[in-house]
Amino acid sequence: MVEPSEPEQMSCGCLVGAEKRLVDVLSTEEVMPLLESAVNAGMSSMAVADDQGVPLWEAGTRLEGTLLTGRMEQPGENFLPLRLEGEPVGKLRFFGGALAPESSRAMAKVVAGAVNGLIQANLKRMFTTEIHTQVVDQSYEELVHSHEQLRLSEKKYRELSATLEQRVQERTEALKRMYARMVQQEKLASVGQLAAGMAHEINNPLGFVLSNLQTLQKYVGRFTEMLLLFRQNEPEDRAVQKWRELKLDYILEDVPDLFEQSLSGARRVQKIVADLKGFSHVDDTDEEAVDLIGEIERTLSVLSPEIPADARIVKAYEPVPRTRGRADLFCQVFLNLIRNALQSRREGLQLTITTGVKANFIQLVFADNGAGVPASLRQRIFEPFFTTREVGEGMGMGLSVAHEVISGYGGTIELEPSTEPGARFVICLPLSREDMG
Amino acid sequence: MIEFDELEQRMILKLVYYGPALSGKTTNLLQLHELLDQEGRGELMMLDTRDDRTLYFDLLPFFLQAPSGLKIKIKVYTVPGQVKHDATRKAVLQRADGVAFIADSANSEALNNENSFANLENNLAFVGLNIETIPLVVQYNKRDLPRIIAEADIRRVWEPTGIPVLMATALHGRGVVKTFAHLLERVYRRIDDRYGLLKDHGLSQESFLQQVVRVKEAGGNHG
Repeated sequence: MVEPSEPEQMSCGCLVGAEKRLVDVLSTEEVMPLLESAVNAGMSSMAVADDQGVPLWEAGTRLEGTLLTGRMEQPGENFLPLRLEGEPVGKLRFFGGALAPESSRAMAKVVAGAVNGLIQANLKRMFTTEIHTQVVDQSYEELVHSHEQLRLSEKKYRELSATLEQRVQERTEALKRMYARMVQQEKLASVGQLAAGMAHEINNPLGFVLSNLQTLQKYVGRFTEMLLLFRQNEPEDRAVQKWRELKLDYILEDVPDLFEQSLSGARRVQKIVADLKGFSHVDDTDEEAVDLIGEIERTLSVLSPEIPADARIVKAYEPVPRTRGRADLFCQVFLNLIRNALQSRREGLQLTITTGVKANFIQLVFADNGAGVPASLRQRIFEPFFTTREVGEGMGMGLSVAHEVISGYGGTIELEPSTEPGARFVICLPLSREDMG
Repeated sequence: MIEFDELEQRMILKLVYYGPALSGKTTNLLQLHELLDQEGRGELMMLDTRDDRTLYFDLLPFFLQAPSGLKIKIKVYTVPGQVKHDATRKAVLQRADGVAFIADSANSEALNNENSFANLENNLAFVGLNIETIPLVVQYNKRDLPRIIAEADIRRVWEPTGIPVLMATALHGRGVVKTFAHLLERVYRRIDDRYGLLKDHGLSQESFLQQVVRVKEAGGNHG
C-alpha cells in the first residue's frame, strides 16, 4: 500500500480508479432531455439527486417542498437508486402527480434504466480516455527519455569519432615522420656504407700510387743526378742542343715541385678517405673509449664541404678524458648539432665549440650566433618527431636522436637559455670512475 | 490505496490481477462476478477489447461498511497481459494494495510466467511499490490442461518465498474465490496494521471477508 503522501511516480496526475461523483459522470445535456420527456409524458416532476436526495437536475412542476428540500416525505413521491460502479450514489426522484402510481413507477424505471445506462457508458468512456491518455503520456515521456538517451549517445559517438579522426591524424603524422626518419637513416646508412666501401676501394690503389710516387721521386732524383753529370763533362754540341730543345733545365727545376704537389694531393685524398671511413664507423659499432675531441674534429672535416667560406669555427678545446661509448653515435650527435648551427645562419656564422671538464662531468658546448630557438619551442625541440620543417625535409629527428644518445650514456643535453642571440647547446657527460679518481 | 478520506469515512482499495497474456485474469473476474452474490459488489466493467484480448483493463468493484461507518470500496482490476501493453500495466498498478499473479500452468508457458513476474517486480518498483511487502498471491490457472507443470514442482519453487500459491481452473470457476479470499485476507492484515480496521472501526477479518466474498447459494460450491 502506498502512503497517501507518497509522490506520484507516473507523470500523469490522474490515477486509474480515482473516484467519480455523479456530477462527473453525467451532464445536463444528457440528463435533462430524459427528465423532460418523462414530464412531457405526464409525470409531475422528476429529478436526479445525490445519495442524500439533494437534486442535481430536475424537471417538471415544482411542488412546494417537494424537490428542493431534499426531503423524501412528500406523499406520492418515490425514488429509484442510481448506481456508479455498482454503488448506490444517487436517486432518481419522481412524483407522478395525476398519473396512476403504477404508470409513474413504470415510467420512472425506464428513466432510471436510461440514466444508469448513461452512467455506465460514460464511466466506461471516461476510464478508457483516462487510461489511454495516461498510457500515451507515459509512452510519450518514455519516448522523449529514450530519444534524449539516444541523442546523448549519438553525441558521445560523434565526439568519439571526431577525436578519433584527430587521433588518426596524429598517428598518421607520427607515422609519416617515423617513415621519413627511417628513409633518412636508411639513406645515411647506405651512404655511409657506400662511402666506406669506396674508401676501402680507393685506399688500395691510392696506397700504391703514393708508394710508387715516392719511389718514382727517388728514381727521378737519380736520373737528374746522372743528367747533371753528363752536362758537366763537356758534352757534344748535339747533346747540348737536345738539352735545350727539351727544356731540361726547366723540367729539372719543376720535377721536385710536381712530386711534392702529387704526394701532398694523394695524402690529402688519403686523409679524406680515412675521415670518411672513420666517420661512418662501419667497422666498429662496439663500445670503446671514445676520444670526443677527435670525433668532433672528424665530424667537422666530413662536414667541411658544407661549411661556408666565411664561417668561423672557434675551437676552444680543453682536453677531456676518453668516454666509453659508441663513436658512431657520438659522431651522429655532433653532426646534428653542427648541422643545426650551419643551417641557423647564411652568412657570418660563428660556431664556438668548447670542451672541458667541470666538477665531475665532461662539458661540450656548441654555441652559434644564428637565429636561435623561440622560447615557445624550447620545451619541445628534443621531442621525437618534433620539427619546424616540413615532413621529409632534412633532419626532423636530429635533436631527439642527440637527446637519446646522450641520455643513453647518463648525460644531459640542454638548450641553455641565453640573452645573447643564437643557440647554445650544452652537453654534460658523466666522468667514468677512473677519471674521477 | 486509491483514497482514504477520514472526513467522509471512505477507503478505496485497489487489487490487481496480474500475469502473462491469456493466463485467465479476465476469466477470474468473470467467475468472481458469476459466483459471488450481487449484494456487496457492482457490475463487472470490461473496457474495450480486441479479439477478446484485454486492451486496457477490467474492473469489478465491491463495497462493504465497517461497524464504525467506514465505507470500504474494493476495486479489482485486471491488466492486459500482452507484452506491448506495459504502459497500461504500469498505470493500473499505481497504488495497488494487493496483487494476484495469475500464472499459466501449461509447461510451455513457464518462461512467459517468469517474464511476467519479473515485469511485475519491475513495474511495482516503477510505481514505488515493493514486491517484498505488497500482499501477493499466486494462482496457477488451467489445471485442467493436459501438459502442465506438476503441483509439487510449483510448490517446491514457491514455498521458500512464503507467497501463497493456489491451483485453479478459472474457466470452470475452481480456485477463483479461494484465490480472491486469500488475497483479501493478506490485504486486510496489511491495512489493519496501519488503519486499525478492527481497533478503530470494529471490522474483523472474518467480517471483512464475509461481506466481500458472499458465495451465491445456488451457484454451487465451486470456490
